[in-house]
Amino acid sequence: MRERTDRDLVRRTRRGDRDAAAVLFRRYWQSAWRTAFVITGRRALADDVAADAFERAFAALDRFDDRRPFAPWLHRIVANRALDLLRSERRLADDEPPEPVDLQPDRDSGDRGLLAAVVELSLERRIPVILRYGVGMTPKQIAATLDLPVGTVNSRLARALEQLRDSFEAHDARRD
Amino acid sequence: MHDEIDVRIARLFSELPEAGAEVGERALARALDALPTPQTRRRSPLRTVAVLSAAAAFVLALAAGALAAAGALHVSFGASSPRQTTATVSQLTVPAGARGIAAVVDGRLWLTTSSGLRLEGLPVTAAALSPHAQYVAAGIGDALVAIAPDGRRAWSHPTAGPVAAISWAPDGLRIAYIVAGRGGFRLHIIEGDGAHDELIDRAVRTVQPSWRADSLAVAYVAAGGTPVVYDLGHRSRQVVTSPSAREATQLAFAPRGRALAVATQHGFLVTGAGAPTNGGTFAPSVVAGVGWLDDQIVLAVDPASASDQGPFIQLFRLDHGEAIPMGQLIPPATIQALDTDGRRLTVTVSNRSGIRVFASSPAATVRKAQLPRLPALLQLAPGTRVGSVAVR
Repeated sequence: MRERTDRDLVRRTRRGDRDAAAVLFRRYWQSAWRTAFVITGRRALADDVAADAFERAFAALDRFDDRRPFAPWLHRIVANRALDLLRSERRLADDEPPEPVDLQPDRDSGDRGLLAAVVELSLERRIPVILRYGVGMTPKQIAATLDLPVGTVNSRLARALEQLRDSFEAHDARRD
Repeated sequence: MHDEIDVRIARLFSELPEAGAEVGERALARALDALPTPQTRRRSPLRTVAVLSAAAAFVLALAAGALAAAGALHVSFGASSPRQTTATVSQLTVPAGARGIAAVVDGRLWLTTSSGLRLEGLPVTAAALSPHAQYVAAGIGDALVAIAPDGRRAWSHPTAGPVAAISWAPDGLRIAYIVAGRGGFRLHIIEGDGAHDELIDRAVRTVQPSWRADSLAVAYVAAGGTPVVYDLGHRSRQVVTSPSAREATQLAFAPRGRALAVATQHGFLVTGAGAPTNGGTFAPSVVAGVGWLDDQIVLAVDPASASDQGPFIQLFRLDHGEAIPMGQLIPPATIQALDTDGRRLTVTVSNRSGIRVFASSPAATVRKAQLPRLPALLQLAPGTRVGSVAVR
């Protein structure tokens, strides 16, 4: 059976089809959670941010323009909610963003060198990188998500990639 | 090189940890609950009237628009702003006559004050409103943080570990807090401006400290389960030695005078008002909270699983050393948290459909207030754990 499109699922969900809503949720839950995780660096916050984002998205589904893709809209809510949370923590706790305690290279499997380099990126650069290469958004979609000009997104992506390349080289040199 | 990074980041993203299955199911349930009710099209015999009403509304809207253009009226057209839904809190209202409400829900602080301070979902370990809800003290990470009315950090005091309980003195000049340390919990007192932190006791339980009305003494539960009153003026400790007070679970000083209500696993007593008064026992029930409304003691009692009786709130009046029952209120469901400021009762009740927070008006007794008939100040998702709630 052919997989239903996001637009179809959104329209069915609006009509009260909870099964369609569940399919939509499961299609993007892990992606939304991982985006929140990469931004906040903490599992507990990612749990709340992702759940909160879906709740907000579903509550606002009547206002969503279904001619546009669903995923960027959802991830925009995820990113904004995560940033709001980090901003409030930074404002109240200290001037530095909190350490991403659960997102440490020695705790996660996979490409540890790359993870270390990504964690070292500032949030300003980390978020566009994750939305571009993790979630698969275009620079234009990232710009809309973060309320930034496309040129700024491209610039941050370029600088982030440059920084990642430098980090790789340093990492490889240390390993050699 | 960039192409290689593309691939590696995409792979890295797919190899990141996943959310727990239980977390996902809970999130799905909350998301489904948030779905708007689908609107069905109905043909009404009053359709003509509706059309005429719409036309009239259009004319009025045009008039309002003209006024708005003239600067005489603030008006907005188009879709309403997005509904402010949250993970757990669907409503947050300061009750009439109060200055603010704060609730710690699943380790997050939700707060609204009449002065405009609003916090939504701030991760905290504990929190307490100052008198008149001007400031809020919260445990954030390993620090005690005071948040000013403008929402900014007023001060931050590093602690040895997470703050487990906070209580602001009635005069606002001091804060008692319990902090986790190596091997147990410690009671500290710090001044309201974040200065002069002092360790009071190295071994206490994580029961919310209670301040005496004159702000010169604070009651807490020692590690052995015995209530202790620390007198700031004399820097002395008075242990409540009554056998009925052992294994204390809640403490509450009266809003006036020196009477201290001590709740235990199965009952309560009152001390400090002459001879200790044994209030009674509720075995096999559990006393979930204790507080005061004027001179009446309020006790929230949850039944143990062996009991058929529903949860209830019991009122007592002290009369010459006796605690005289004044009546019961049966809430609609299990009591999660209870707080009083001497004039108002705030209580959280839960059932399968969700959790609601009610507050009585200062003038009404609990019996007259009929909690289930009061508007809910907070509506929370089922399964939510309420750590504390307070209205000031």
